Amino acid sequence: MAKSEVAVAGVGLSKHVSKRRDVNIAELVWEAVSACYENAGLKPKDIDAFITGNMPAFEGVNLPEEWGAGHWGAYGKPLLRITTGGTTGGSVAHGGYYAVASGLYDTVLAIAFEKQSDGNSTAGLNTVAIADAAAQFALGVDPAFLAAFGGGAVGVAVYQASSYMKSSGCTTQHLDKVAALCRNNAALNPYSHLKQPGLTPEEVAKTVLLQHPIRFGHVCPATDGACAMLFTTGEKARRLVDKPAYVLSVASCSDEAAMVGIAGSGTTNVDPCTQESCKIAAARAYELAGIKDPRKEIDLAEPYAPFAHQMLMFYERLLLCDEGEAPAILDSGSMNLDGELPVCPSGGVISTNAIGASAMERVAECAQQIMGRCGERQVKKEVHKAVAHGWGGAVNLNVVAVLSDTPRR
Amino acid sequence: MDKEVAIIGYAQTPYEADAEASREMQVLEVTKAALAAAGLKREQLDTVITANNDYLDGRTISNMRLVEPSGAWQKNESKVEMDGAYAALYALMRILSGDHGIAMVVGESQASVYGGYIPGTMMLDPTFDRQRGLLNEVSASALQARAYMNACGVSEEQLAGVAAKNLANAAKNPLALRADGKADVKKVLSSRLLYSPIRELMASPLCDGACAVVLASGKVAAKSGNPVWIKGVGFSHDSYLSERSLAEMSSLKDAARRCYAMAGIEDPASQLDLAEVHECFAHEELMAYEALGLCAAGEGGAFFDSGTTSMDGSLPVNASGGALAANVACAAGLARIIEAAMQIRGEAGDHQVKGVRTAVAHGQTGICAQENIIYVLGGE
Amino acid sequence: MEYKNETVSIEGGWPMEHWQWKFESLALIRKTLEALREKKLLGLKCPGCGLVYFMPKPYCRCLSIPDEWVEVKDTGTVTTYTFTGAWAYEGIADEGPAGTPLIIVGIVLDGTDTMTVCTLSDAKPEDVSVGMRIRLQWPENPEGKLEDLAYCVPL
Ligand SMILES: [Zn+2]
Repeated sequence: MAKSEVAVAGVGLSKHVSKRRDVNIAELVWEAVSACYENAGLKPKDIDAFITGNMPAFEGVNLPEEWGAGHWGAYGKPLLRITTGGTTGGSVAHGGYYAVASGLYDTVLAIAFEKQSDGNSTAGLNTVAIADAAAQFALGVDPAFLAAFGGGAVGVAVYQASSYMKSSGCTTQHLDKVAALCRNNAALNPYSHLKQPGLTPEEVAKTVLLQHPIRFGHVCPATDGACAMLFTTGEKARRLVDKPAYVLSVASCSDEAAMVGIAGSGTTNVDPCTQESCKIAAARAYELAGIKDPRKEIDLAEPYAPFAHQMLMFYERLLLCDEGEAPAILDSGSMNLDGELPVCPSGGVISTNAIGASAMERVAECAQQIMGRCGERQVKKEVHKAVAHGWGGAVNLNVVAVLSDTPRR
Repeated sequence: MDKEVAIIGYAQTPYEADAEASREMQVLEVTKAALAAAGLKREQLDTVITANNDYLDGRTISNMRLVEPSGAWQKNESKVEMDGAYAALYALMRILSGDHGIAMVVGESQASVYGGYIPGTMMLDPTFDRQRGLLNEVSASALQARAYMNACGVSEEQLAGVAAKNLANAAKNPLALRADGKADVKKVLSSRLLYSPIRELMASPLCDGACAVVLASGKVAAKSGNPVWIKGVGFSHDSYLSERSLAEMSSLKDAARRCYAMAGIEDPASQLDLAEVHECFAHEELMAYEALGLCAAGEGGAFFDSGTTSMDGSLPVNASGGALAANVACAAGLARIIEAAMQIRGEAGDHQVKGVRTAVAHGQTGICAQENIIYVLGGE
Repeated sequence: MEYKNETVSIEGGWPMEHWQWKFESLALIRKTLEALREKKLLGLKCPGCGLVYFMPKPYCRCLSIPDEWVEVKDTGTVTTYTFTGAWAYEGIADEGPAGTPLIIVGIVLDGTDTMTVCTLSDAKPEDVSVGMRIRLQWPENPEGKLEDLAYCVPL
C-alpha cells in the first residue's frame, strides 16, 4: 500500500500539430506546463520534483532538459528523466505516481513531449534498428534484402494486425470503423491533431493501402506536442481542485524485444499480437487497484493505438473482454462516447501522436474525463474508474495505469 | 529514513577501455552476480530499473534489448536516462511506494561504442552552443575549472594533487582502469594538456562497463545477511552552464541539503566516515568538498592540502580511485554507491578504509556537473 | 523595425558514423550461416530453460547462456504475415493485384521457439494464413548467407 494517496490535480496540453515551427522544444513544453500550473492553481515554486521524458532520437538532441528545464521552472529542483520509447509518456506518469506514493515528494510535475518536426521521424524510428542493421551489414547482407522486410513502425504493425485479425475475426471493415470513431472523437478535442468530423468508415476504406492490411487511414500522424500532469497527495489535490482524479495503481511489463522485419537473433516473442506483457501489466494494475472484475468496474479505456487494429487488440489485452470479442463490442456501439465503455474518447493515438507524450496523454485523458473537464467529448456516462495504457519498444513494452474518482481503499 | 530500504547485493564488471563483451553481456554478468550476492533468484525481482542513454548506446529505446540481460523479462521494468545513481533513486521510490519489495538497478555504457565526447556535445543547447563548436564536455569543464580556481584561489598543483591521490588509491582497486601507485603532482602536470587547465590525468577516462545493485524493502533486507541502509537521498537540477555561476556546484549543495535533512546529518565533516564522489574532472572533487559541506565554501583547496581526504585521513574521499580511475557514463555514480556500500560492509579488500559506518555517495549527469544526486548510506 | 515571424532550421541530427557496436550474436550467426552450405539449420539451445533460438542468440531471458547447437527442421508454422508490392501503393489492391505481390511471413521453425521472417513464394495473398504450414525453399547451391533463407513455400 502506497505511503501517500496519489491524485492528479492538473493536466496541461500544448497545441498539437504536425509542425510547430514557431516554437522550440522548451517553448512547446512550456505551453503544456503553464496550462497545467494554471488549472491546478500552482506556481513553479510549489513543485517539489519534476519527472520528464521524450524519445530523443526524434529531435537529434540528447537530454533536452539540460537547457530547456529552466523554462519550465525546474532549476534548483529535483528532476528525473525517464525514457522508454513509445511508452515514455506513460513511464513518466508512472514516475510521477511513484514520486508521490513513495512519500518523498508531495507535488510532482510530470512532463512528456515530442517535437518530431525538429528531426526526421523515419530516421528516429530507424535508429531503433540501426544497431541491428549494422550487425546485418557486418554479415554481408544486402541492404535491399533487409529493406524488403520493412523497418519502421508500419512494418511492425502489419504483422501484428494480420495476426490479430486472424485470431479475433476482426475484418478490414472493423479497422475502418475504429479509424472513423477515433477521428470523430478527435474532432471534439481541441488538443488533437487530425480532426475529421463526420469521417465515415467508407471514406477510410478508400484511402491508400500501405501494406496489407493497413491503409493510410488506419495510421497515426506524426505530431509535435507536449503534455504535463500534476501528481500530488490526495489531501493536497482535494484542496486544489473540486474533483481530483486518483491514481489507484500503475504497472508495467517488459517482454523480449521482437524486432519483426529484421532477421537476426531469434526472439521468443513470436507473435506480435499476443502482447502477453500487456495482460500481465493489466492484471497487476487491477490487483493493486483492488479491481476484481475490470469488465464491470472499468468505465472508460484509453488504449495506446497508433494503428486501428490496436484499439481492439489492446481492449482485449487490457482484460476488458474475452480475446476475440472486441470487434463485436465495437459493432454494438459500446465503445462510442455515449456507449457503455467508451474507448479513446480523446481521439486516441491514431489521431494525435507526439510519440514521447502519447502514452501520458492516455493517462491525462482518463484523469480529465474523471474530473469532468472534457467539454464536448466528455463521455455520457459517469466515469468512476478508467484505464490508461501505453505500448512501445519492439512490440514488447506495455504500461498500464488505473485512475478513479475515489481514492484507493 | 530509518531502515526502510537497503542495498543487499551488488556487482561491477572490471572497467576497460574497450571491453570484449557487448553491453548486453556485461549487463547479464553483473545482473547474475548481483542476484547471487543478494542470494536471490531472478523470479524474486519485483522491478528492474536500468540507467542508459539512447545516444551513448547508439540506439533509440536503448533499454529495449536490455530486458532479458537485466533480468527484467515479463517484469515491471523502466529506464532512467541519467546516471545509475538516479536509477537507484527511482527503484527506491518504487519500493517506498509499497508496490514493490525487491528491485534490480543496472547502469551501463561503452565508450568504445559511442566514440568519446560526441553524445556530450549533443547535450548542448542546439541553437547556439552546438552550432558554434566551441564547447564539449572537456572544454566546458575547463571553463568551470578556471572559474572555480579563480574564485577560490585553487592552483593547478592542487588539481593535480587530487588526480594523483585518486590514481594512487585506484592502484589498490582491481576493477579500476586508470591506476598508478606512484602518481604524483609532477606526473599529472606533465600529462597531455587537453584544455587548460585540464590535463589528461585530471580528466576521467570514459570507458566500458556495467554495474548492478539489488535494493530491498526493510522487511526483506532485515532477513538478508549484511544490509547497507539508505539513510537519505537528495537530488537537484542546476541551470544550464551558460546561465549559472560555474564556480560552485549549487545543485550538489542543494542535493546535500535535502539528503542530510533526511539522514539527520548536521555536521557532515564529523558524522561521515567516507565519501565516494563522481568527479569527472579533478576540480570537481574539490568543488564537491565544499558543496557537500565537508569544508567551508571556498576552502576546497586548503581542505585537500590538510590530508583529511587521503586514504589515511579522517574522511577519505574516493578510496576506490573515483571516476578519475574509471568513468562509465550512466554507471559511474551507481558504482560510487557500490563502493560506499563495500566500505561499510568491509568488503573493499586492499582499498578498505577502517571503521566506515556512515558514507556519502555522489552521482552526476550533464555537462559541468549540472545535475547531482547524493546518498547517505549506513550499516546496522 | 518591422517584425517578421521567421524561423530558422538548424542541423540537429545524429552522426551515426561515430558509433561502433559490439555483438556476440555475429559469431553465432556466422556459424549458423556457414552450416547453410550443407543445407543444415543450426539453432542454439538454452541450458537453463531449454528454449531453442534460431537465429542463435547469445543470452537468454532466464539469464543463462545458450550453448548447445542443435539441428532444427526446415518445416515450420506461420505466426503472422503481410503482403505488399508496387501495386499496393496505387490503391488498387481490392480490384486485384497488378504485378506480383511480395508476401512476407513470420515463421517458427519446428523444434525452435523463436520467430524469423521469410518470403512466401508459390502462393497468392489470399492463400496465406496464420497457422499455415511451410517448408524452407533451399536454393540449389546455398552460399552460407542469410539470403539462403529468403524463401519458403506452403507445405
Ligand atoms: Zn533460458
